[in-house]
Amino acid sequence: MEEEKKVEFRNPLRRNELDPNRWRSTQAGMWAWLWQRISALAIIVLLAIHVTLPYRPLIQFLLLLNVVFHVTLGLRVILLDFGLVNVKYQKALIGGLAALGVVIFVLVWNGIY
Amino acid sequence: MASHAPKSRIIKVFRYDPAAGGPGHFDRFELKTDDESLTTILDVLIRLQKTQDPSLAFRYACRVSMCGSCGMVINGREALACKTILADLKGDEVTIRPLNHFPVVKDLVVDMEPFFRKYEEGLTYFHAARELSEPALIRPDSRERQVIESSTECIACGCCVSSCTMANWHKDYLGPAALNRVFTLLADSRDGLHEERLARSLGSCYHCRTELNCTEVCPKEISATRAIKYIQMLAAKEAMKPGSTIRSDQRDTLRQGVPKLIPPQSTAPAALTPEPEDLLPAVPSPALASRREFLSRTTLGIAAITIAFLGSVLAATALAPTLRKRPETWVDVGKAEDFPAGSVKTAQISYPVKDGFYESTVNKPVFVSHQANPDQFTVFNSRCTHLGCMLRWDDGKNLFICDCHGGQFKPDGVVKAGPPPRNMDRYLTMVKDGHLFVQEA
Repeated sequence: MEEEKKVEFRNPLRRNELDPNRWRSTQAGMWAWLWQRISALAIIVLLAIHVTLPYRPLIQFLLLLNVVFHVTLGLRVILLDFGLVNVKYQKALIGGLAALGVVIFVLVWNGIY
Repeated sequence: MASHAPKSRIIKVFRYDPAAGGPGHFDRFELKTDDESLTTILDVLIRLQKTQDPSLAFRYACRVSMCGSCGMVINGREALACKTILADLKGDEVTIRPLNHFPVVKDLVVDMEPFFRKYEEGLTYFHAARELSEPALIRPDSRERQVIESSTECIACGCCVSSCTMANWHKDYLGPAALNRVFTLLADSRDGLHEERLARSLGSCYHCRTELNCTEVCPKEISATRAIKYIQMLAAKEAMKPGSTIRSDQRDTLRQGVPKLIPPQSTAPAALTPEPEDLLPAVPSPALASRREFLSRTTLGIAAITIAFLGSVLAATALAPTLRKRPETWVDVGKAEDFPAGSVKTAQISYPVKDGFYESTVNKPVFVSHQANPDQFTVFNSRCTHLGCMLRWDDGKNLFICDCHGGQFKPDGVVKAGPPPRNMDRYLTMVKDGHLFVQEA
């Protein structure tokens, strides 16, 4: 019993380590979080292009679409953060708010052009 | 409906041998089952151990999803092996690996020590606020109990911590399981350690990024996200209270290592409600700025930079036009000989003006008088000094007359009658090469 052999633990596994199924099993909530970060980066890039090349409908369209996407995901998190919507409706919020955002976007876009 | 026919599957199981070390690898097994809809992953593992590899290590106890021992990652998703039905898994292959974020002891067995260390850091035990001879009950239909919902059902399997990406990136994050437990106690009115517990979770409850992975994978269908949101709201309300003394001591706790907690059960019945300080480890005064201090300083800093930036831009736009030196513009009125002595004549002047990007040409009449001062030309602005109407020279009356309100000026521009408050405005004049010029400001 006195023989003390140090057991070598393996370092904790990380999320994607050695696991081909991980991304296939990624759920809506995490995609929403991830895509909001990606859209934030896209907005920075598109905003820079928009400022240097103003009045280009294609760039404006992409920028506004990205902003709508980013805003709807952000509103969803705000609604969940302040307990205004129960967490169990989180998936419905992604689609619902995105659809609402796109409808408003199309109306505004048609109003401008 | 899942088919009930016998089926063969490839089962890939993560193997790690502590004697050999290394990163570990996957072993492939082929297993035929009679009815997949009646077979759990735990059944699969037991059968593999009995029939194919007796050295396969995994942990289980109750087999009915009560004990939380058999949490593992099955096809990329955390689940209890005993609760996962083989028929529910798509594809021919099943990949089984140990939970993330915990040291691997052997094969699918992980060391849960970090899990329970976080559990202790959150003071996740009940401590009665008042000494009572009978148990204090919270009615099942009361609002208080309804808020807590099923959060008390946690079996500490560690699936949520494994699924949480933030648990990996923030070492001081208590994680979903511990915060869920903290929430059940924070929402409990009988609890006596409310403030201490809130202080412990303040520093880490905002590490949650609302990915909801923990909510998705929980085998007991508890939403740790909901629990963390509750704590965040409590923390926000606490921050807005004017005299709040609750401060995050998470960092200090971490620096001190695991607090030595005295479980309430071990105290004598007579001392059922000792001062909370007796139970808590001494927390030294923070040497580092706490998270809240850091955030308020950063916010103030950003606000100051924004105000300074906007203020300088506004100040520059307001002051620049007054500081800029405008070039003197001399405008040609005409040949000097065209304005004989003793006459008052109207002349049109025209000159370009540039205002920002906008360029235009100004055309306006001026009065040239060679009468008031025989040696010099006097050029008057053609606008009445009352309300700016256009004046006209009346040769018969020998006066400048404004038709709007009857203002009258003498030939030297002095007010004779009517409402004008001051004499006519004059231009600076210059005669050069026989031409008369006026200066346009």
